[in-house]
Amino acid sequence: MSDVVLETRGLSMRFGGVTAVDNVDFRLRRRELRCLIGPNGAGKTTFFRCLTGILKPTAGEIHIDGHDTTGWDPHWVARLGIGIKTQVPSVMDGLSVRENIWLSAYRIAGSRDAGRLAAEAIDRLDLGTLAGATVGRLAHGERQRVELGIVMAARPWLVLLDEPAAGMTGEEVERMAEIIREINRDATVVIVEHDMQFIRSIAQQITVFSQGAVLMEDSVDAVMSDSRVRDVYLGKRG
Amino acid sequence: MAGSQATGTLWVLLAGLVVMFVAPLVLETYTLTLLVIYAMLALSLGLIWGYGGILCFGQTAFYGLGAYTYAIAAINIGESTVPALLGILVPAIFAAALGAMMFYGRLSDVYLGVVTLVVTLIFFKFMNSTAGPEYQIGAARLGGFNGVPGFQTLNVPGDPKAYIYDRSLYYVCFLALLIVYMLVRLLLASPFGRVAVAIRENERRVELMGYDVRLQKTLLFSVSGAIAGLAGTLYASWAEIVTPGMFSLGQSAEIIIWCIVGGLGTLVGPMLGAALLGYLKFSLGQQSAIDNSMILGLILVVVVLVLPRGVVPSLVSLWERRRRRPSIRAPRRRGRRGEAPDV
Repeated sequence: MSDVVLETRGLSMRFGGVTAVDNVDFRLRRRELRCLIGPNGAGKTTFFRCLTGILKPTAGEIHIDGHDTTGWDPHWVARLGIGIKTQVPSVMDGLSVRENIWLSAYRIAGSRDAGRLAAEAIDRLDLGTLAGATVGRLAHGERQRVELGIVMAARPWLVLLDEPAAGMTGEEVERMAEIIREINRDATVVIVEHDMQFIRSIAQQITVFSQGAVLMEDSVDAVMSDSRVRDVYLGKRG
Repeated sequence: MAGSQATGTLWVLLAGLVVMFVAPLVLETYTLTLLVIYAMLALSLGLIWGYGGILCFGQTAFYGLGAYTYAIAAINIGESTVPALLGILVPAIFAAALGAMMFYGRLSDVYLGVVTLVVTLIFFKFMNSTAGPEYQIGAARLGGFNGVPGFQTLNVPGDPKAYIYDRSLYYVCFLALLIVYMLVRLLLASPFGRVAVAIRENERRVELMGYDVRLQKTLLFSVSGAIAGLAGTLYASWAEIVTPGMFSLGQSAEIIIWCIVGGLGTLVGPMLGAALLGYLKFSLGQQSAIDNSMILGLILVVVVLVLPRGVVPSLVSLWERRRRRPSIRAPRRRGRRGEAPDV
């Protein structure tokens, strides 16, 4: 029990007649770095949204660190010490980089330590030269980093990232992989991702989604060489 | 950044003090007092709309509620201190309750506008239908369409005989406006205010950081209700009568127009917009050649087309561009909102 920090049992999410997530059992151990992959519409992001409380699952249970978080609101899930990054960079466009990150640090640390935590996060993500800039004016990759800064400033022990490398240049992707490895040094990480190159460079354990259900769960190499995985990615049904 | 905001606020306060003493040389204080009250009302909406992203179409609900509360309490109590406090407190509590209902119910955007509009119209209808003698609170008759006259107006606290009226009422209202402005500035500079602005920018992100967005919005809404209530209280004392017209659709729409014309995302903008358009309406009211609301509508259309961000933000960025002219600095990409001047 102590080792498993996130577990879903029979998790399902239906929208009308469509079952986006179908009876998923999922277990995650502390300090693990897990990638969720699968073709478009496989239910990865829906599953992710159920974990974060953005969606309330139709059936099943979610347990995080001993709490039954099924049906919790996102801010309660976040208060367990969970950092969440959504698919589209979710940042406060009209505020400066520093303020974006400070707000996150302030929530957990109060005004006394927020400045220090924010400065640390800015430093770790190499955002120093941009700290005073308005986020709405930054490039996409920079905004992704700002969002990661928001996540890291709160010192989460569990980090959920939805497509952190989407729309980034090769160089930025490499850097992102480095940052994620660093986060993983003391936090458990779940990543939803499309980019196979990126997954190859960071993943240890992979869960493959297909049509709302878990197709397989194994190490990177095993998953990459599995014929079923190749089939679902190439669109073959079989 | 915090420093420049503080200097900005000081400049506004200083300019406000100058205007406070100069304006009576140009205009009657009777008219000026009303303009100051309008400015306070506009400030209350400018706070939640411009900084909290909450478009309340029924700001008049709190304005009218404040006025009625004051009038009814003043008739029953006599001395004005407690009624004035109630005139702030009751709308604040009402706003908190209404806000909680809407925000915990996840109502937003246009639905929120509709609900608040309906609330103020319900007040309007209800107050209009209270002519009968059964509508009586203590010694105060609600009076239906005719409203509530004959209550104790503001007095020097503790001395019911020392009425504050005319010129002194003007100074009291203006000082109240400056104090409220300063308090709102402090609120916006505090972490609570920063979170409010963050919610305007991206509600989901703030939620994912672990803030309870619903609670934050409810509190901000309540603060705005308190300010509108104070404006209503001052209005009651100025007009010496409160009528259902304070809740009317026309009045609610006007506040929104003040904010749009003056400039959202600033506090000075809505206040100036209210004073200028209020004065215009007052002067136009003295002639009958052309319809009043047509001109007001025309101004709104022109401002929206020519200065979509409103008068004050446009002036500020014009001034800043002039000041910065020598440096060649091409912005890489325009932000969604541009840089909002914070005044």
